[in-house]
Amino acid sequence: MSDIETLTHQLREEARRLLSEKRVDCVMGYEVGPRGRIRPAFLYDPAEADHLVWGPGCVHNLVTYLHNKKKPRRRGEEPPRVAVVVKPCDSRALNILFAERQVERERVFVIGMVCEGVVGPDGRPAAKCGRCTDRTPVVYDVLLGNPPSVEPAPDDWSDLARIEAMTSAERLAFWLRQFDRCIRCYACRQVCPGCYCPTCAFERDDSLWVDMGIEVPQKYVFHLGRAFHLAGRCVECDECERVCPMGLPLSLLNRCLVREIEALYGHRAGRQEALTPMLFELGPEGSPI
Amino acid sequence: MRFTTLDRLKAWLDHLAQEADLIAPREVDGHVLYRRVASADEVLLEYERPELSAKEFLFPATEVILRVEQKGKDVALEEVLPERQQVLFGVRPCDAHGLAVIDALFLHQDPPDRYYQHHRERTVLVGVACERMWEGCFCVSIGGGPTDATHLDVLVRPGTEGGFFLQPVTPKGVAVLEGLEVAEPRGEPRPVEEYNPPVPVAASEKWRALFEEHRFWMRHGERCLSCRICTYVCPACRCFDLTDRVVDVRSGVTRIERLRAWDACTSPNYRRVAGGHNPRPTNWERLRNRFMCKFCYYPDDFGPRGCVGCGRCIVSCPVDIDITEVMQDVARR
Amino acid sequence: MARVTNPMRPYLGRLVGVRDLATGIKLFQVELLEPEGRAAFADYRPGQFAFVSAFGAGEAPFGLTSTPARGPWLEFAVNAIGHVTHTLHTLDVGDPVGVRGPLGNWFPMDQLRGKNIVILGGGIGGAPLRPVIQTILDHREEYGHLTILWAARSPDLLIFTEEFDEWRAAWATELHVTVDQAGPGWTGNVGLITQLLEKVAPSPENAVAITCGPPIMIHFVFLTLKKLGFAPEQMLTTLEARMHCGIGKCGRCNLGEKFICTDGPVFWQYEIAGFLEGFL
Repeated sequence: MSDIETLTHQLREEARRLLSEKRVDCVMGYEVGPRGRIRPAFLYDPAEADHLVWGPGCVHNLVTYLHNKKKPRRRGEEPPRVAVVVKPCDSRALNILFAERQVERERVFVIGMVCEGVVGPDGRPAAKCGRCTDRTPVVYDVLLGNPPSVEPAPDDWSDLARIEAMTSAERLAFWLRQFDRCIRCYACRQVCPGCYCPTCAFERDDSLWVDMGIEVPQKYVFHLGRAFHLAGRCVECDECERVCPMGLPLSLLNRCLVREIEALYGHRAGRQEALTPMLFELGPEGSPI
Repeated sequence: MRFTTLDRLKAWLDHLAQEADLIAPREVDGHVLYRRVASADEVLLEYERPELSAKEFLFPATEVILRVEQKGKDVALEEVLPERQQVLFGVRPCDAHGLAVIDALFLHQDPPDRYYQHHRERTVLVGVACERMWEGCFCVSIGGGPTDATHLDVLVRPGTEGGFFLQPVTPKGVAVLEGLEVAEPRGEPRPVEEYNPPVPVAASEKWRALFEEHRFWMRHGERCLSCRICTYVCPACRCFDLTDRVVDVRSGVTRIERLRAWDACTSPNYRRVAGGHNPRPTNWERLRNRFMCKFCYYPDDFGPRGCVGCGRCIVSCPVDIDITEVMQDVARR
Repeated sequence: MARVTNPMRPYLGRLVGVRDLATGIKLFQVELLEPEGRAAFADYRPGQFAFVSAFGAGEAPFGLTSTPARGPWLEFAVNAIGHVTHTLHTLDVGDPVGVRGPLGNWFPMDQLRGKNIVILGGGIGGAPLRPVIQTILDHREEYGHLTILWAARSPDLLIFTEEFDEWRAAWATELHVTVDQAGPGWTGNVGLITQLLEKVAPSPENAVAITCGPPIMIHFVFLTLKKLGFAPEQMLTTLEARMHCGIGKCGRCNLGEKFICTDGPVFWQYEIAGFLEGFL
């Protein structure tokens, strides 16, 4: 049984070691703010290692911050080497970024945490943890924690039941109602490790696909378009839904597509280290892949 | 000061909903938002802080500012200025304060923004006092308060024995109350139950002095996702973007709309110029600009600080970036 | 006919001239169709800018690249680099455009009288400097020596080449041209404008230098001028920052508490040195 205190201690030791031995330039983990809320932390000095915490409040997927660490700090230098603390869901995103050549494997030191679940802002277990198939990160350089007391849960797609029960017309009405509340803040896109286009297809100056209006037609295209751009790539970390200030059930959109992709291609993003992204694979004649 | 009962207040609201566009706090799928209402029944009278500010009714998130019709080589332009009167009911004092902050630039700096000016003229602000300070609120520290009537046309305060006290503040406020049936006052305006601890507000020079301290801003800003939540929920933020869109091409006539829409200095490409250079390439530099604008640039340029202490950004930031934490850090130096 | 002032409403105009200036760069001549527009632009100054609308695409800011004295048409040099500019490039003589302005501050020509002027234009950055050159040439005896350094990445990107002879021919005026990379048949200087500047080495005595180009060029030109003995109050530039409204409302172009559209776009180097936020 993994003890939170022990894990926190081990995590701090690991961070201290990595920074003092200059194995990495930065450790990305979690800290507690003055209000008692857990938040992402960026450590550059081994003396800061004791800021790190670990526990069920560590909900953020830190992998997305690797996109900010691609460029060197100064011209002529190498890009930074970064250590990142990951939960199983977060670690799946790493496999995507490695396969898509966004981050070099050698530049990332992965501190994998065995995870028994995180909680939402209300203190209740996050929905995604109830269907977590991993519990142990799928990629890591060091693994902290013992095999979890909670077994991986089977995923029965029961979260999609509410959508499945609707007719097409009802689904459209449901989603238009959700998008009406959307304020097009792009938090869902910004938090997502899979969304890293320097200029988003839906935020182009030439308004090629949608214009900048914060109206239902544009938001509709943005959300559906983003879901399709993540097809075969979304690792179901549910961060998009967590960060949405208007409570849009975005994981429903992504999960619907995850299930379709699994049914069609037997593929579930991020579970394994892949050489290429799923959509780039050509399979033998007659096979979906 | 006037007094009325709940029934008479609702009758007045129903009357307003007929005469004008009535905007009030409404429950929308579990969220409290200022929205257009058709009757008093939809109006929430017990609520905390609507999740978005009231600015969208004077500075819409998306606004068509020009309609253009092009036929061959001929172009006709038309400004779009809706005529209907608008009553915003249930405006929290911080939201009204936010409009006063935007006024300092949009109205009082020449040339005035024609659209905002028009919306201001056609809008009456009927505020409802807060009976306590909500999570994140620090309006008192910025010169506002839960019962501050300063920037409203009318301030409504729920009474200790039921009913509502109404204080007209401006001639517009007097006029909008004309349709209200008053009653014999009973009780008093409910006092504010709880105040949040004060937050120090450092002078502009102190912020300016910290501009070059990168580690300071990285500590607060490196976890910023560069989304736009804080900017969009803020009552005082006013940056916007402009573009055209072709609405229709029919019978040789092209109909075009020139839009303006909310924008945010936190977003990654905000300052990217056509040639590709971006002077604020990192998330923490953009966040620094956001805070500097609120506590240094805006007051230095236009008078008021660009923050009213509503606390929305604090509760809605997904990575716990807390403006009061930054303010305390600045004041401590 | 009185019209409630709406600074976001463009004046109607029509293209009366379109010609290629360089690869991807065209010169547009615009006739203003409305009396209010003509009145607004009766007296624009070198350094000011205007928003040109390609209806359906949007607006973009361009330096006014000539002077009222040179003709009734407004002239704009447009580099096709984004949506609005590419759309403008599809337009032809007779097509409608919108114009908003004149906006911004201007080069203090009266303060430059009697002084030796050094003009440094890099690429499309030369466009807002052309009206300065024209003003000096049109009032030649009021100004001292004029040294023009003109540069581009390659010969096909040099703008206003057809005016080089007019510039060279003027009294006490010299023109030096350089390109970063030579093209076929190029026999002129090859090298950065800063290298040319060191070679020409204009004297800072009673001189003012005015520069415009990509941000990095402005930065290094300032450093080189300083090396040559120019003081901060002897250096001027004009900046761009993706302006959207041009009237100080949309927030886009701020450099610290300054707005490039209303506090500028023309700035002295000593002003920029005191800015909280750098333009680079």
